[in-house]
Amino acid sequence: MNIVVPVKLVPDLVEELTIDASGAALDTMWLRLIINEFDDHATEQAILLKERSGGQVTIITPNAEGVDDMLFAASARGADRLIKLVGDFENGVNNHALARTLATTIKDLQPDLVLTGVQAHNDLDGSLGPLLAEYLGMPYTGYVSGVIVNGDKAIVRKEFPGGLIAELELKLPAVLGIQAAEQPPRYVAISKVRQAMKTATLEEMDAPGLNPDGGPTIGRMFQPEAAEKAEMISGNADVVADRLIGIFKELGVL
Amino acid sequence: MIERINFWEIPEIWHYFAYVVLPLCGLVMLGRFYGRIRLWWQVGRPERRWDKPLVRLWRLIKFGIVQVKVLSKTYPGLVHVAIAWGFFVFFFGTALATIDADFIKFLRGPIYLIFKLMLDTLTIAALAGIILAAYRRFIQKPSRLTLDRGFTLSLTLVFVIVFTGLLTESLRLAAIAQEPTLQPGWSAALAWWTPAGWVTAQLWLALKLTPAVINSIHLWIWVTHATLVGVLFIALPTTTLVHMFTALMNVFFSKLDRPVGQLAPIAENEKKEPVYVSTLRDLTWKQLLDGDTCTECGRCQEACPAYAAGTSLNPKQLILSIRDALHRDGPTLAKGNGKSLPLVGETIKDGVLWSCTTCGACVRECPVLIEHVDAIVDMRRHLVIEGRVDDILQGALANLGRYGNSFGQSERMRARWTQPIQPKIKDARREPVEYLWFVGDYASYSATLSDVTQKTADVFQKASLDFGILYDGERNAGNDVRRVGEEGLFEMLAEKNMAALDKCTYKTIVTTDPHSYNTLKNEYPANNGHAVLHYSELLDQMITSGKLKFTKKLSYKVTYHDPCYLGRYNGVYDAPRRVIEATGCTLIEMPRCRDKAFCCGAGGGRIWMEEAEVKERPSETRIHEAIKLDGVQAFVVACPKDVTMYRDAVKTTGNEERIVVKDLIELVHEALG
Ligand code: SF4
Ligand code: SF4
Repeated sequence: MNIVVPVKLVPDLVEELTIDASGAALDTMWLRLIINEFDDHATEQAILLKERSGGQVTIITPNAEGVDDMLFAASARGADRLIKLVGDFENGVNNHALARTLATTIKDLQPDLVLTGVQAHNDLDGSLGPLLAEYLGMPYTGYVSGVIVNGDKAIVRKEFPGGLIAELELKLPAVLGIQAAEQPPRYVAISKVRQAMKTATLEEMDAPGLNPDGGPTIGRMFQPEAAEKAEMISGNADVVADRLIGIFKELGVL
Repeated sequence: MIERINFWEIPEIWHYFAYVVLPLCGLVMLGRFYGRIRLWWQVGRPERRWDKPLVRLWRLIKFGIVQVKVLSKTYPGLVHVAIAWGFFVFFFGTALATIDADFIKFLRGPIYLIFKLMLDTLTIAALAGIILAAYRRFIQKPSRLTLDRGFTLSLTLVFVIVFTGLLTESLRLAAIAQEPTLQPGWSAALAWWTPAGWVTAQLWLALKLTPAVINSIHLWIWVTHATLVGVLFIALPTTTLVHMFTALMNVFFSKLDRPVGQLAPIAENEKKEPVYVSTLRDLTWKQLLDGDTCTECGRCQEACPAYAAGTSLNPKQLILSIRDALHRDGPTLAKGNGKSLPLVGETIKDGVLWSCTTCGACVRECPVLIEHVDAIVDMRRHLVIEGRVDDILQGALANLGRYGNSFGQSERMRARWTQPIQPKIKDARREPVEYLWFVGDYASYSATLSDVTQKTADVFQKASLDFGILYDGERNAGNDVRRVGEEGLFEMLAEKNMAALDKCTYKTIVTTDPHSYNTLKNEYPANNGHAVLHYSELLDQMITSGKLKFTKKLSYKVTYHDPCYLGRYNGVYDAPRRVIEATGCTLIEMPRCRDKAFCCGAGGGRIWMEEAEVKERPSETRIHEAIKLDGVQAFVVACPKDVTMYRDAVKTTGNEERIVVKDLIELVHEALG
């Protein structure tokens, strides 16, 4: 089975986010990137499937700072092929553009299964999975937390709000948006990653013309603005009650 | 002149027993012993332990013959030494007797008498030792001892051998006392050179046995004695007494190549691949020898905080499981067929390994120098490479790999605690400093510790110390990362710190964290001759040199907790105590102090792991120990993690009214006025 996992790096929220001079984007100067948590689960799920029923796992990711380390870590975990898309990703791309360019490359890889993280915290134009499915002409299911492959079918576990769980059957090839792998992403020892750095190869592929059509244009990006200041009322119950009545009167509700 | 008579009144036929049968038994013993120990190198990996033979010989004498560690516990120590020395002397005595009988006659006159006195004294000592050992084993029954049949059997056998020896001697004396011609030169006065024998002989004399009767009893008791010696020889390699040999070997081959605070890097096989210990085959021959050496004394168990807390780890059991696995699977493995069964995960469960705080108490206590911690870390390395770590630990390791600290915070926040400090602390990467303060993760990031860290800076500034820090260039030093078994991450952290340190000009590193201290001092390659000091040592130096002058005399009654990585691992016991006393405080020691200090439970990466089900946390046990002391107001620590651990423990044990946890620096700060 041929499993492709598109992975993207997202801003690491450990660092404080700042808005750049344009006022419509994050300042990349202080930005530190980290693998999208859900993509991490998608990678783990792909490896679990491979361990269970064989196959090949290909990780594909747009170029960004730190992407090599992420790819080597994936290789140390068990990924077989590592593809880095090189193109005009510097100023960030929206998911429409990313899905289009990924689809072109992924088509050639002829996957049986495409596993992607169900969402990312910087998805501004919807999550990647459905877009990718559309461009690939494959079925899609999101919020998946377990996959069993059976011939050319996959049975996926999907969680609904309220604790309902459904098992759905899909015809392969298909795109799945992974919410959680069957087990949490495993720890990969640094020495294994270092070993992978020495032995694994990164394939670079050109990402042809990025087309963001269909996504929104960002007008303004800003930090949450503090609402009008609240008044803290202190004192014993009587004092607090008096003050409350006073405020209600001032506001004309009493 | 009186002289030794060979085979006194023993018919010649029995001489063959001594000259033929007993040596044959000895050969059987050696053969069986070889059969047991060949597994070490047939199953285990090679490891070089032959260098520095003189140092090794010295260790053999110190720990194997004089048995200083055995003696560190008085009652069992003396009991053991009495019996062991009995053995040594009987062995030595037999050798001398053989020389005297078959080579050069020299046991005559005073030499003979001294020889006799020596044997006789040790007979009494050994018998007394055996009786006291039996008392301990059958009446006192301390929980740390293994109380099974094997030990009873050995003890009985040894007792009967020594006792029949005494009887033989006494019967001989009784016979001679009746017929002095049997040993020319004999007199009743000289008989007192064998006091125990002579006193016992009085019994035979009182019974008025005829010389003929005495002679025949003498013969049969001698035969019993000699036969039992033969039995002992044959049985020895599979009895608990085998430790006579293995213990001597184990102390001889104990590790010399590095200080206790230094772990060995991951070993490589012939193909230059790393060896992670998961089966018997991955252990070194010395680690298998450790298993065969364990005397089951349980001293490690008694000292172990993980065992006391009720976790699944018992260091004694851990070593014994290596031994048992070796004797279960070793013979098939040695034949080259048979797969190596998993040791880790099967015989030794993951949870056992993760429970260890690497406090080193077991290693310190073990009378035969078994190296528990090294083996535990070796096996943990396997678990890490397999990804068998708990979620919290995994998170911490991931954070350490990504941000260089276990808190998962940006390195840019590392020096945030310095913000209110004026004048600004020097950046050691930009300007030369005399002291480079390696702050460490907890002191840097933990919100509850910033007060203590700031006070440290204040004290340094008040003492006009020329110091600086690495700001965001510092990473976790990696001591506990290494002890968790994440060697690759340790190397990465160490490389980053070394690169940062290399760019600085400084004379001495100082740190408040014993864990960082240990690894910087013992494990960072080529520290370029820079000394590493713990702040307690630096404070002590500054007090002595007058750089630090106290204006206030504190009058607290305090106790002091020795951090494992400062005390046991690096022998720094006195500096913090001198500092405490210099502040005017009265120091009252806990029963377990200095090298016997009880671990807080945080070390070896335990602070990053899920808490196991425990009866009582080690830190809580320790607080209970402290509040039993009369009138102690403060529990003084010299480790940032200890501040956290013990403040929690004081709360959870409900002792907030009775005792406060203070960092050493808080006392110093207060005394500065
Ligand atoms: S190092 Fe400490 S915790 Fe670990 S086994 Fe030894 S005594 Fe127990
Ligand atoms: S390992 Fe050492 S201290 Fe522990 S029981 Fe064995 S001999 Fe005693």
